[in-house]
Amino acid sequence: MLNDIFNILLPNFCILGFIILQLVLSIILSPRLFRYSRLVSIIGISLSILLLSTVQTEPQYFAFKNSLMSDSYTLLFDFLILVCGFLVALLSRNLIRTIKGNAYSFHAILLSGIFGAMNIISANDFLTLFVSIEILSFSTYFLIAAAKGYYSKEAAFKYLLTSAISTGVFLFGVSYLYGICGSINLSQIYEVIMNQEPSIMYSISAIMIILGLISKLAVFPFANWVIDVYKGCETSVLAFLSTIPKLAVFGIVCRLLVFPLSNSFELTFVIAIICLITALWANTYAIRENNVKAILACSASANSSYVLLAACLVSVYNLSTVIFYLMCYVLMNISAFAFLNICSEKQDMNVNGFKGIFYNNHGLTGAYAFSILALAGFPITSGFIAKIYLFTAIANSGLIFVPFLLALLLLMVVALYYYLKIILPLFERCDKNTFVPKLNPVFSQKFVLVITAIITLLIGIYPEKIIELCRFIAYNI
Amino acid sequence: MEKFLSIPFLIFMPLVVSMFVISPLFTRNEIVVRRFSKGVFGFHFLYSILMLAFFDSANPYISQIHFFGLDWIQSIGVKFTFKIDNISMILTMLTSFVFLLASFASKFNIRANHKFYYSMLLLLESAILGIFTASDMFVFFLFWELELIPAYFLIGGKWKGSESEQEEKQAQNSAIKFVLFTFLGSMVMLLGILLLHYYNFISNGILSANFADINASQIPEFIQYIISVCLLIGFGVKLPIIPLHTWLPDAHTNAPTPVSIVLAGILLKTGAYGILRFNYQTLSDAFITIAPILAIFAIINIIYTAFVAYAQTDIKRIVAYSSISNMGLILLGLCAINKIGLSASVFHMVAHALVTCGLFMIAGIVYLRCKNRDINTLSGIATVMPRLFGFATVIVLASIGIPAFAPFVSEILTIIASLNADFSDVLKFASVFALPLLILSSCYMLKFLHKSFFGELPTEYEKINDITVHEFIVLASVLAGLVIFGIFPNVLLGMIG
Repeated sequence: MLNDIFNILLPNFCILGFIILQLVLSIILSPRLFRYSRLVSIIGISLSILLLSTVQTEPQYFAFKNSLMSDSYTLLFDFLILVCGFLVALLSRNLIRTIKGNAYSFHAILLSGIFGAMNIISANDFLTLFVSIEILSFSTYFLIAAAKGYYSKEAAFKYLLTSAISTGVFLFGVSYLYGICGSINLSQIYEVIMNQEPSIMYSISAIMIILGLISKLAVFPFANWVIDVYKGCETSVLAFLSTIPKLAVFGIVCRLLVFPLSNSFELTFVIAIICLITALWANTYAIRENNVKAILACSASANSSYVLLAACLVSVYNLSTVIFYLMCYVLMNISAFAFLNICSEKQDMNVNGFKGIFYNNHGLTGAYAFSILALAGFPITSGFIAKIYLFTAIANSGLIFVPFLLALLLLMVVALYYYLKIILPLFERCDKNTFVPKLNPVFSQKFVLVITAIITLLIGIYPEKIIELCRFIAYNI
Repeated sequence: MEKFLSIPFLIFMPLVVSMFVISPLFTRNEIVVRRFSKGVFGFHFLYSILMLAFFDSANPYISQIHFFGLDWIQSIGVKFTFKIDNISMILTMLTSFVFLLASFASKFNIRANHKFYYSMLLLLESAILGIFTASDMFVFFLFWELELIPAYFLIGGKWKGSESEQEEKQAQNSAIKFVLFTFLGSMVMLLGILLLHYYNFISNGILSANFADINASQIPEFIQYIISVCLLIGFGVKLPIIPLHTWLPDAHTNAPTPVSIVLAGILLKTGAYGILRFNYQTLSDAFITIAPILAIFAIINIIYTAFVAYAQTDIKRIVAYSSISNMGLILLGLCAINKIGLSASVFHMVAHALVTCGLFMIAGIVYLRCKNRDINTLSGIATVMPRLFGFATVIVLASIGIPAFAPFVSEILTIIASLNADFSDVLKFASVFALPLLILSSCYMLKFLHKSFFGELPTEYEKINDITVHEFIVLASVLAGLVIFGIFPNVLLGMIG
């Protein structure tokens, strides 16, 4: 057992250790020293990233009686989650200045969210998966509620309700699958399923499991929470919410679709329909929104549906496009939220509040506009490559999916409209009477915004190395 | 000498310079910015002349950019390749020339935000050259999308410095309309490209998006139809083909003169070039069936917009609609699917680019002096602007297809080509309907000339000046081009082959 810990779980236990450290510090340190909580988190996450090098991945390593596993796929997702966690921790400065004394507990919860996400990726049975999802969800409720004000509490409660329902659906699906296979271990379920004819019960259970999981992605039946929750969230929490649960859930959903749940055509069909409805809903809903956070919420939901569509048309090639898209998407999103984080003290997030802000701060606003353009899929950004790569995957899945692809492509035109709604006011020149907020970002915020924008640009120009990595990982799953 | 000629330099030089111009390193002094950019455009034109001089249609220029020894997106077989064959060479040359004219035309029309304006203009040149020279579908698509960003800012920006709020709003709305329309088209086009890429892989067994590989592949006919329609919607927005044309008059009217010149002179041709590269050359099996239907659309383009142009009172709108009408002629030439039709199309791209440059320039000059583009209230300006009147008369006559000017050659060739199209009677019939273009265009063009230049001069126009040196250079070079290609059409036709 100790062997297992040393072989694959050192990064996870490092995070766990730092959670305990944060909790201890919250008791023994004076509340005036709240600033150091961020530093402790950053050190913890960096240490964990370093410890990823100790993880054994060749070929696959199973630990704790097959309940946890690790391979290059989990390693990559752990790495992405930790990097996102690192950037979120950097962005949390504004928030911890408002909650002061509770900063240590806030960071403990942030780390436990990361811990949960990492465990979701490496889960190899449904019990571990369930517990990890709950760790992530509970951390997310508290993170959302951390900001001051009524709306954050409302958002947290809404998220809690949707999560509770979706967890119920998930467990129900798992119970059916247990009834069919007599096991909750993913490897054993895969063996059983491969040796028998797919039954309708199997398809129903697969659909319920996936539906339960994808509520975190704001996909159709559980999509309504996304706008209110995003509006109520503080921006650094939003950077967390829009990246880490997404990475974790996509990580496990792709693994489930490739292994135990790959045998069901009904599942593919249902997910494709769900994706279409989500894309339709999210893109049309965003047209009338004027709040940047709400627009980005819709865009998050729409992007999830594109990725999910590619993910459900299972093939190894598709898996590599999904991983690549997720990487690019996560970076663009953090970049956008980093800019909102810089502006967050100055204004409510109405698109017109950003009028003329470009002329106060060229570089940062340029980087922000660039990352929004990347979300819209314009050339020389990683978004362009990611979209082309993802859509080649969907196009290669057969003529049946061409209408789906056409619908998604047409909806991207709608998406461009609302992205333009965010970008254009930035460059509008306004008269002297209008108040244009002056930005005074600190180093950490600038660092996050600029570094993510630069990576977005670099991937946009020279994607081949990253794509190769994604393909390598997809072939080794 | 040929070692010094490189396609990447030709394409990316304006892009690099545009980044330099917009960066804080470069001066904000407007005169320096203007002269520097004019110099860059001039240098680019000379460079493209050099490329033309050393051009040999038997072995076209080919170039591939490697990124650290790798292809661009190797895993889906996308290479950053360029190829300049004879048609690309002509259009590259034309692009470079029209941008040079536009930079000359910018002097009096652009009065604010010089740095931003010139950097966007340079970026647009890069993007358009990329479209004309790409030999890989995804690279083509990359530049097709890239061109939206500068085009948006050029149409919707505040360049005069004295726009009223309403004018500004209008310009922005038409810019957004342009971007959304083109993006719609390009998304549908992307679907076509993705399918083409996939079916090329199925039939050839190699992952490649290169035009040469795709031409060699056997794609099932049914799939070819689907792809053709997708691509035609994409190109039809740019060309524009009639139901997709509504962005064009607004964009052209609200853009400043040099931008209108670029839009009508070059940007519309990217659509025709796309049809030529994709539908005409690559999906040729399906194109034989589609061509008659497309010819009907071309006829609608020609006749319907000619009537619409006659009803307009704004000079710029007349010219804009006349461009749509002429693009119908280019489309008809392509639909004939024979050598004459192809050369007529390419020839008309050049001829129409020159004519439309001249016409938009005239409209711009009139608007700059009189602050008015309505032909009902304009009158008698020939007495104060005799030189402009001279140019206007000749260019208008050239545009309606008077012999000895370039458009005459291409119009006649198009009609001959569609009469020679053996595979369908629709094309032969269409040639009959293409003839009214000559009559109808003379109706609206002469109406514009007559109403604005003849008649009694209102007192408020008595003080206006005739054309300046810059404007003279633009109009004279347009006229020279029209005459040269009109009298010696073989210069161009020989090159098209």
